[in-house]
Amino acid sequence: MDLSRIDRRIIYLVIAVAVAVPLLIKVPLPVSVGPEVRKVFGEIDGLPARKFIMMSFDFEASSMAEIQPVAEALIRHAFEKDLRIVGLALFSEGTAIGYNIISALADEYGKSYGEDFIYLGFRPQYVSAILGMGERIDQVYPLDYLNNDWTDFSSFSDVNNYRDISLVVSIADGSLPTYWVEYAGSRYGQKIAAGITAVMATSYYPYTASGQLVGFVGGLKGAAEYESLLGYVGSGHRGMLAQSSGHLAIIALVVLANIAALRKKK
Amino acid sequence: MLAKKIPIAVCFLFGLFGLAQYFSPHPAAVSAYSTVLDWVQIIFAFTLLVGVVSLLQIHLGRVSRREKFWGYSIVTIVGVLVMAFFGFAGGTGRGTAFMWMFDNMQVPIQSTVFALLAFFVATAAYRGFRLRNIEAGILLAAAIIIMLGRVPVGEMISARIPEAAEWILNVPSMSAKRAVLIGIGLGSITTALRVILGIERSYLGRN
Repeated sequence: MDLSRIDRRIIYLVIAVAVAVPLLIKVPLPVSVGPEVRKVFGEIDGLPARKFIMMSFDFEASSMAEIQPVAEALIRHAFEKDLRIVGLALFSEGTAIGYNIISALADEYGKSYGEDFIYLGFRPQYVSAILGMGERIDQVYPLDYLNNDWTDFSSFSDVNNYRDISLVVSIADGSLPTYWVEYAGSRYGQKIAAGITAVMATSYYPYTASGQLVGFVGGLKGAAEYESLLGYVGSGHRGMLAQSSGHLAIIALVVLANIAALRKKK
Repeated sequence: MLAKKIPIAVCFLFGLFGLAQYFSPHPAAVSAYSTVLDWVQIIFAFTLLVGVVSLLQIHLGRVSRREKFWGYSIVTIVGVLVMAFFGFAGGTGRGTAFMWMFDNMQVPIQSTVFALLAFFVATAAYRGFRLRNIEAGILLAAAIIIMLGRVPVGEMISARIPEAAEWILNVPSMSAKRAVLIGIGLGSITTALRVILGIERSYLGRN
């Protein structure tokens, strides 16, 4: 058998087994926390209770498996710190997903709508939405997701624009955090953090190094790191074994292919 | 002639306004700026409508002409109409029919398609990462270190692996990324100036 030319169906099978089987085994692996995650945690942890934090759900259903643990960890932290969350979405698909995640966790933490969190829903054309909120949030979002005039909620009536928001967290599977940095960060001096997919993480190292981004929570690994800091085992931790074995399987395949190719040359 | 001159003039004026208002805290400038942002949102909302109409037109045409795979077009049309109907009729909150379909149909379908990437990445890595020369060797070594360094098992093998992965991401990778970002920034400024000054006119179409 030529190991440098394995049938692709065998490779598919190897990957399927390497990822699926560990998901059935509940062995939490030790996770060390990286500086990017620690920065986000420190920023949220340092906010006084009842401050406002804006969470923007800028992702699509396709990346939910990876991004939901990130979102859950960040929302849990905000609720534990008794911060008030202003939720919104700049991707239409993220609208319902974000509302469901916040609402489910609010139930768990005994938080109530209008008192501890509100959800503004979706606005198209993210650049103008981000810029518009720098002037007046109620001009971009006159009504919330549930069609309430959200400025009637006494807990949120003080929120006018970014000056009243301590931190914006863009939970995204694409380049939306870049737009938050470019428009809300550069123009209005808003602090921005990001929760992103692992594949996007490399794009955000320059922004973190320059201080334009507070930090980021990248993919399942980032979620697991954040869960470690919060002291619970969530879906980020549970995915670590599957991700580890998936990576090992790919490395093994690459090494195998190279050894076989070298032998063939000789 | 006017069909070209008017859009160029509008583009020039709004481009100039966009630049000027950035430096002006005057209430009139701020108010005009807010109004323009509102316009952009309203115009964009209409483009969503145009998108839906265009999607339906294309797929209805395919069905009526019985083009290849026209059955998929029926699925698309039904999907758009059913989701829109339940969204308008029952809302999009928790426990609604819309949300049930979103959670149990759209999310699994999209997640499945996205998950296929893992298989393609694995086969691409298997076939592509070959030690052909020094450059390919460096790339191969960096890829293995990053793959190991981004999962807990890497640290279990050696604490040096995550450190090396972090160094690769923070030094060589970031240098390249910064160069690309600076290039994009300069390119964006140049393109914006070309559009404002009417040199770049491709947005007007060919004729």
